[in-house]
Amino acid sequence: MMPAANPTLIQNPLRQPADLLRRYTIYAVIVAVILAMSVHLLVYGTDWSRMGSPSEIAETAISLLPNLNFIPKIVSPLLDTALMAFWGTLLAVVMSVPVSYLAAATTTPSMIFTFPIGRGLIVLSRSTHEIIFALIFVATLGLGPLPGILALACRSVGFMSKTTAEAMENVDRGPIEAIAATGAGPTARFLFGVVPQVFPMFLGNAIFAFDANVRRAAILGMVGAGGIGLHFSEQMKSYNYGNAGACVLAVVILVVVGEIVSNRIRTKLISG
Amino acid sequence: MALLEVNNLRKTFPTGEKALNGVDLSVEKREIVALLGLSGSGKSTLLRCINRLVDPDSGQVVLDSTDITSLGKHDLRKARVQMGMIFQEFNLVNRLSVIENVLSGTLGVTSLWRTITRAFKKDDIQRAIELCSRVGIADHIAKRADQLSGGQRQRVGIARALMQNPKLLLVDEPTSSLDPKIGAEVMELVCEVADERNIPVLFSVHDLGIARTYSQRIIGLQQGEKVFDEQTSALDANSIEHIYGFAPNGSPASVAH
Repeated sequence: MMPAANPTLIQNPLRQPADLLRRYTIYAVIVAVILAMSVHLLVYGTDWSRMGSPSEIAETAISLLPNLNFIPKIVSPLLDTALMAFWGTLLAVVMSVPVSYLAAATTTPSMIFTFPIGRGLIVLSRSTHEIIFALIFVATLGLGPLPGILALACRSVGFMSKTTAEAMENVDRGPIEAIAATGAGPTARFLFGVVPQVFPMFLGNAIFAFDANVRRAAILGMVGAGGIGLHFSEQMKSYNYGNAGACVLAVVILVVVGEIVSNRIRTKLISG
Repeated sequence: MALLEVNNLRKTFPTGEKALNGVDLSVEKREIVALLGLSGSGKSTLLRCINRLVDPDSGQVVLDSTDITSLGKHDLRKARVQMGMIFQEFNLVNRLSVIENVLSGTLGVTSLWRTITRAFKKDDIQRAIELCSRVGIADHIAKRADQLSGGQRQRVGIARALMQNPKLLLVDEPTSSLDPKIGAEVMELVCEVADERNIPVLFSVHDLGIARTYSQRIIGLQQGEKVFDEQTSALDANSIEHIYGFAPNGSPASVAH
C-alpha cells in the first residue's frame, strides 16, 4: 500500500480501481447474459399473431368488472374457503407439535435418526406448492373441500414446525434449570420451562399461517379442492367474466378481512 | 454429622476447563456459609454439582445422610426437592404470573395430572400466598413475572425456593444482578427466612462486603480448589489476598463496612 501522509486519506482496500473495473465487468456480463436469454424467451415465446389490439384488451378488462348480482351466490363457497383455511391451519398446528419436537436439536431424541426426519418433513412441506399437494389429494380422495384442507395442512405444517423448533432451540435455559432444581420431572420442565416461552410466538405464527391459508384456499378450488376457486374457474371457463370478477372481488374482501382480524389478534397477543 | 458433606468433588468440562479440583466442605445445620472467589473459581459449578444440575466427574455429595451423587433419576428428583436454589439471573418463567412462579416450587412433588392441568393443591396455593407476603410481594401476585423490578423478581425466586420446604438453600450470586442497596435487602431477607425456618444457606458471592456481613463462615475458592475455610471473623488482609490471588483496592477493613 502507498505510504499515507494523511491517515484519513487511506483508500478502502476493497475499492481499488482495478477491483472496481473487475467488479463492474462481472456485473455487465451477468446483465448481458440475462438479456440475451430473455430476448429468446419473450420475442419468440410470445404468440404475437393472437395478441389483441389495445381496444380489445380494454374490452376484456371491462368485462372482468365484477357482476355484483353474482355475489349472493358465492357467499356460501366463500365461507367454505374460510373454513377450509381454518381446518387446514388447525391440522397443521396439531401436526407441527410432534414434527417440531423431532426437528429441534434440543428436544429431538436422536440427532442421527429423528432429527433428519423432522427437518426432512419441514423441507418437504415448505418446498412443495399447495397446488401440488391439492392435485395429489384430489387424485386420491376425489373432489371437495377435504383434499383442500389436507393440502393446506401439509403446506403450512413446515412453516409452523420450523418456527416452533427454532423457538424451542432458542429458549432461555435459566428458567428450565430453575424448574429442574425444584425436582420437577421432564413433563413439568417442558410445560413450565419451555411452553410459556414458546407459546405466544406459536399462537402468533398459527394466526399468520391462517392468514396465508385463506389466500391459498381461494386458489385450491381451481384444481377441484372446493371453495370459491372452483366457482372462479367455472365462470372463467364459461366466459362469464363479470361473475369471475365477482369471485375475485369476494376473495379480496375475504383476504382483507382475514388480515385485519389476524393482525388485531396478533397485536393483542404480543402486548398481552 | 453435618447436614451437607462434600468430599473430593471434581468436575472437568468437555472444553477441558477444570472447574473443580477436589473440593471438600461441610455445612452444619443453621449455618450461613459464603463461597468466596473470583469469577471462574468454580463457585457456581460447585453449587450446581450439589443438586446435580451439573454432574460431577467424581467425589461425593451427602445431604442429611443421603449420597446425592449415587442417586438415579427418580431419587435425584426427590433429593432436589430438599434443596431450594436461588439464582443470579432469578430464572423466573417470565410469561407466568408471580404466584405461578412461586407455585412451580412444588413441581417436584406435584402429580403429573395436576402439572398438566396446572391445578395446584389448595394448601399449596395458600402457602404460596403466605410466602409472597412474607417476602414482600403480596401486591404483585397476579402480575406477570417480567413486570417486576429486579429486587422484586429475586424475592419471587426466594419464595419459589422456600415453597419446596427445603432442608438447605443453595444461593448462586443472589446480589450480582442487583444494585448494592437492593442486593443488601435481598441478602438480608434470605438470612432472615433461613433463620426463621432453621435452614442452612450456602451462597456464592464475589463481593467481599456481602460475604463478610452475612456469613458465619467463609470458604475461599481459587481455580477449583479450596484455599480458605474459616469463621468469617478470621478473614484478614492476608487471607483475602490468598483467596483472590491479589490484594483488592483499598484496605479490607474499608471494603467491609
